[in-house]
Amino acid sequence: MLSIKGLKANVGDKEILKGLDLEIGRGEVHAIMGPNGSGKSTLAHVLSGREGYTVTGGSVTFEGQDLLDLEPEARAHLGLFLAFQYPVELPGVNNTYFLKAALNAIRKARGEPELDAVSFLRLMKEKLKVLHLDDSLLKRPVNFGFSGGEKKRNEIFQMAILEPKLAILDETDSGLDIDALRIVADGVNALRSPERSVILVTHYQRLLDYIQPDYVHVLAKGQIIRSGGKELALELEDKGYGWLGAEEAA
Amino acid sequence: MNATPGNGFAPWLADDGPAADTGLAWLDSRRAQARAQVRDQGIPTTKQEAWRYTSLTRLLEQGFTPTAKATTPLEPRDLEPLLVPGLEAYRVVLVNGRFVPGLSDLQHLPAGLRVGGLAQILKSDPDALKDRLNGVAGETQPLFAALNTAGLDDGVVVLLERGAQVERPIELIHLSVGMDEPRVAQPRHVVALEAGAQASLIERYVSLGEALYCTNSVLELSLGRDAVLKHQRIQTESANAFHIAGLYLSLGAGSRYQCVNVGLGASWARTDLNVRFAGEHAECDLQGLYLAGDRQLMDFHLDVDHRLPHCSSRENFKGILYGKGRAVFDGRVYVAKDAQRTDAAMSNRNLLLSEGAEVDTKPQLEINADDVKCSHGTTVGQIEPEQLFYLRSRGISAPLARRMLCLGFAGEILDCLTPDALRDQVAEQVGSRLEQAPID
Repeated sequence: MLSIKGLKANVGDKEILKGLDLEIGRGEVHAIMGPNGSGKSTLAHVLSGREGYTVTGGSVTFEGQDLLDLEPEARAHLGLFLAFQYPVELPGVNNTYFLKAALNAIRKARGEPELDAVSFLRLMKEKLKVLHLDDSLLKRPVNFGFSGGEKKRNEIFQMAILEPKLAILDETDSGLDIDALRIVADGVNALRSPERSVILVTHYQRLLDYIQPDYVHVLAKGQIIRSGGKELALELEDKGYGWLGAEEAA
Repeated sequence: MNATPGNGFAPWLADDGPAADTGLAWLDSRRAQARAQVRDQGIPTTKQEAWRYTSLTRLLEQGFTPTAKATTPLEPRDLEPLLVPGLEAYRVVLVNGRFVPGLSDLQHLPAGLRVGGLAQILKSDPDALKDRLNGVAGETQPLFAALNTAGLDDGVVVLLERGAQVERPIELIHLSVGMDEPRVAQPRHVVALEAGAQASLIERYVSLGEALYCTNSVLELSLGRDAVLKHQRIQTESANAFHIAGLYLSLGAGSRYQCVNVGLGASWARTDLNVRFAGEHAECDLQGLYLAGDRQLMDFHLDVDHRLPHCSSRENFKGILYGKGRAVFDGRVYVAKDAQRTDAAMSNRNLLLSEGAEVDTKPQLEINADDVKCSHGTTVGQIEPEQLFYLRSRGISAPLARRMLCLGFAGEILDCLTPDALRDQVAEQVGSRLEQAPID
């Protein structure tokens, strides 16, 4: 469903991604690990269409379409979802209103009828239950005044509502204590399905104790230098990134 | 008449217009005095502080003349599209500055509440108004208030007796209808709440069509001891209109006043809010939201005079500017030497959606007492690219995302509007204006 070939990308004049190849099939969970500065977040941002990155080479095909050619909203319409490392606060924008606008924009783009207020509320309640979240979340402004853990949970809640085909979780484990991490991981696991693929971008093996990946890739200096099964993560935990010649860039 | 003003506003006070004698000696003499003030003041220029950012040239070019007595007869159904759906209110309607009983809904007023047309009450019970007209605005008035006094003949009167508490809002609708030539209406409103009275006043300026006209309104408002008033002003004049409003407020001891100002319409709009504390422990909360797009000017002047101790005031105004829209915010809070324990906080925040938009913001605190809590802040910013990207990454189109962020910015003020019917209508109006805003 996602095919990345020889992807090169710059931030300003600096080349961050230096020819990255990755194939992700339907229903698969891939972990992308790597030291700081290896290009993990850049990859997540380039895939989601954030400004500030220049793609200088390679291609990305998602569901048969040239992903790099699309606006961020069009990528979401195709079924791409990015859970942000730092979810953005939107003061004054109500969470329910926001999610309804998002879901209906996606449904409309796919030629599906928009959900009315009642059906949407039912859907929200159902997903809150699955994720064991409090319904006070619905009335609050998006991420505004949320704790770090609440923000990450809100990302997973959005993912549950929008039901993407491919979810990219950018360092979703960062800044979470063990309880919050477990709640977020349970949420992701509840959303695993043969139809949904997941990319877990993470620095630490810790998250993978809770979300078992099918594949693990090590990203260093803008390229994938090693791929394997979940045992690769354990090996990294033991030996550190230095073992693969992937030093911390920072 | 030899008191014809010698400046560009002479036509506003044509002899055959409302300036004709009223038959009340005291009123005629106040109007003559105001005419003299208009004449003596001349035309303010941008060299004067109060008009530094706002030129009167465009206003003067229009050649406005006073509204003739007879206006187009309107049916209640003509008014329907302009009402707030679901709002239940005691309704008083003016058309081009004149009270129209047939469009108003003033039946079953509760005990202690009197609402009516100013001209009618001047005829039937002039003594009720003798001390109230100019009672708050004072005898020496700035140009537009003096013009209003000089041409004074109609408006709305709301009087609430001691202790009367009115649940249902009182809605004042000022409707402008295009005439054969550019007309100026100068309604004069008098609102007085006696001690302990409580009410809610919704003041709306609306129009049928996009006619060119001018409204120059003055509202004198006094709150007695411990009175409580929520005052909401929604200005949605025609896109070609000129709107001038002078509000003169006197707040008695322990009274609480909240004013939510929303400025959306008119091509040129100037609002002056003058607050004077008349007793200690009074609270004044001024909230404002304005939008200005191409060929639009929104100018708000606040003058809050803390002359007495233990009073508090909040001034919180937010603006959204787009296209070549312009706004002015000039807020002054004055704290007299003896006004200890004054608590005042002023804020003006602006969101600029285009390069061509412009705002002049000038908050000023003048503090002469030493035991006070005062603050002010002002910001001029743009939509955060991070916020925009976050919304777009969820599938929301860029234009809708911008609109959602603007409504989020405005939400703090919109949420002050009550009841929900009014809030929803104004939010909708803000949204649809933003929808038509050009995106850079």
